[in-house]
Amino acid sequence: MKNAAIILWALIKGSLITARHFFTNLWFHFLRLIGIKKYRPGAVTIQYPEQTKPLPSRYRAAHRLTKRPDGKPRCVACLLCATVCPSECIIVEATEDPDPEVQKHASRFEIDLARCCFCGFCVEACPEDAIRMDTGRIDLAARSRADLVWDIDQLSRGRS
Amino acid sequence: MAEITIDGRNLEVADGLTSLVAAEKAGISIPHFCYHPALAPEGTCRMCVVDIEGAAKPEPSCSTVIRDGMKIETRSPRVVEARRNVLEFLLADHPIDCPICDKAGECRLQDYYRDYGFFSSDFHEQKKRRSKILKIGERLILDRERCILCTRCVRFLRDVTKTGEMGVFERGDNSEIGVADGVPVATAYSGNLVDLCPVGAITDAAFRFRTRTWFLDPKPSICPFCARGCRVDVDVHPGFARYPETGGILRVRPRPDATPAGPWICDVGRYAWIEIESRRARRIVWNKGAAEAVLSGDKVFSILGAKIRALSESGRTDRLTLVLHSGLTNEEWADVKAFRDGFNPRPKIRLADPPDDGGDDFLRTAERMPNRRGAAEAGCDLQPLDPGELREDTDILFVFAGIWGDIGDLERRLEVWRTIRTKALVSPVLTASDPLFDFVFPCAIPYEKSGSYIGFDGRRREFTAVRPAPEEAESEGEILRSLLAACGLGARTPGGS
Ligand code: SF4
Ligand code: SF4
Ligand code: SF4
Ligand code: FES
Repeated sequence: MKNAAIILWALIKGSLITARHFFTNLWFHFLRLIGIKKYRPGAVTIQYPEQTKPLPSRYRAAHRLTKRPDGKPRCVACLLCATVCPSECIIVEATEDPDPEVQKHASRFEIDLARCCFCGFCVEACPEDAIRMDTGRIDLAARSRADLVWDIDQLSRGRS
Repeated sequence: MAEITIDGRNLEVADGLTSLVAAEKAGISIPHFCYHPALAPEGTCRMCVVDIEGAAKPEPSCSTVIRDGMKIETRSPRVVEARRNVLEFLLADHPIDCPICDKAGECRLQDYYRDYGFFSSDFHEQKKRRSKILKIGERLILDRERCILCTRCVRFLRDVTKTGEMGVFERGDNSEIGVADGVPVATAYSGNLVDLCPVGAITDAAFRFRTRTWFLDPKPSICPFCARGCRVDVDVHPGFARYPETGGILRVRPRPDATPAGPWICDVGRYAWIEIESRRARRIVWNKGAAEAVLSGDKVFSILGAKIRALSESGRTDRLTLVLHSGLTNEEWADVKAFRDGFNPRPKIRLADPPDDGGDDFLRTAERMPNRRGAAEAGCDLQPLDPGELREDTDILFVFAGIWGDIGDLERRLEVWRTIRTKALVSPVLTASDPLFDFVFPCAIPYEKSGSYIGFDGRRREFTAVRPAPEEAESEGEILRSLLAACGLGARTPGGS
């Protein structure tokens, strides 16, 4: 009986908080509408995903493998990103590149975005500026875990 | 004995040592490129300079023999400055392509730059371009841009293998390492050049781009490819946590005390694992006529155990024959003995090794097997296998084929053994003869075993497994123990061997 009273009281208290915010916001929106208190807007929401907000320029979103001027990936498979990654979600395998000036490139490059903690260490570690997190892509929901493992093509496109 | 002072510490050292060695004995390490403990000092790189009291300028410690009363400073400001200048000149023309360099992580240039460098270079000229992927031997790749001209490689080929394939060509700024007349390095010890090169100028084609050195976990073992028993480090990649398929053996290198002759191993010991890994047997197979069944180990052991028990009940266990090889460890020979003594009459035991290959006059012994002495001392009164033997007097035959999956002429012998009712092969690798046996067991390679060998010199060499064997594979000793247990004649002791 006592427990039921506590639960009931918590419910009422929660509803009161929501109601207080609702009416406060309504009040400020009203004041703004009639031209008083212009600098204090009520809480604003946007219609995501139809509407999006611009991301800060240094926001760490999904990764991208950058390209050389001739379109080949810049990555030379030095494995520094895989070394530094605290989530152990990068796998790189290297192979011989026909161009003697390049010598080495990645034959396999996968990032498991489901495990990635978006720390950006891989970007910091890369000596070739071959990996960046500037795609602005934050909508990473997928239907299976495997869909969140991006391979070298998906990463090179930036958006899949 | 001479009394000297190094960095303010008074030491008493044997006469005739160089100051670098004397300092190292006292635990003071001096950076060096061209000095190598197993090669004669050359004194070309000047990285090892130290201040000696009374000398006008810093002297190279690798080629300065100590004198009584010498006072040496290894870290005075003048010395540190000199080392930084040496590095600056070495790096003036260096490509610094560490991201694609297989030496990165164990490169002396990298290490010393961290210790003495951190300068901004005064050189603004274009770096000199040289050939970068020059094949100078079957598995050797030379990058002349990375070479610092320490001549360790030249001295090794001149003084140790005495084949002299490499030299320094041209002069001054144009000096380059190369092979004379384009004839590749063909010595059977060529892989040592890779370890010897203090930078990434000579790299190993077999290791090229496989991984980065810092992922490797060196595990000490004994080379099982001849009776010399060189001490080696087997570099094992533990595999990335979520990608275990990336793991495995990636390199075999001599340990600093590999042999009394120096830290060298032959190319067989260095590279043979590559072929063995590529042919590795992983499944127990039961060949039933044309069909082939894959069974669990327990099931196969119980089938074979029943067959042996049937022989034993009619008192004919002398019609059971084991053909063994002398790559077994001493501990496995104890298992063989226990197996043999488990039956009455005793099963026949024969020894068959692949033929000796003559060896060479440096490290490689003629015996290809690591433990022939251990086999002789095991007390199993071994007799060599006669080519025409075993046709009439054997019902169940076990052939333990060594690491190469070969006991010498296996196919011809199988022709003789055609009529034997049950034949089983125990081999770490797949062989062409597999379908001719009724049962085929995969087994561990020597790197996956713990135990000891007795080498050519009668000395015992102990080693521990560098990694576990594949799931269905067991060591030969474990297979014998399982078999004995399956006959109901001995307890199966898990683990070890
Ligand atoms: S952002 Fe961090 S966790 Fe994600 S892949 Fe890069 S290093 Fe790994
Ligand atoms: S030799 Fe050393 S410094 Fe030169 S590229 Fe290779 S790792 Fe870097
Ligand atoms: S190739 Fe290596 S070992 Fe030979 S001189 Fe150059 S740096 Fe020294
Ligand atoms: S190590 Fe002494 S001069 Fe090179």
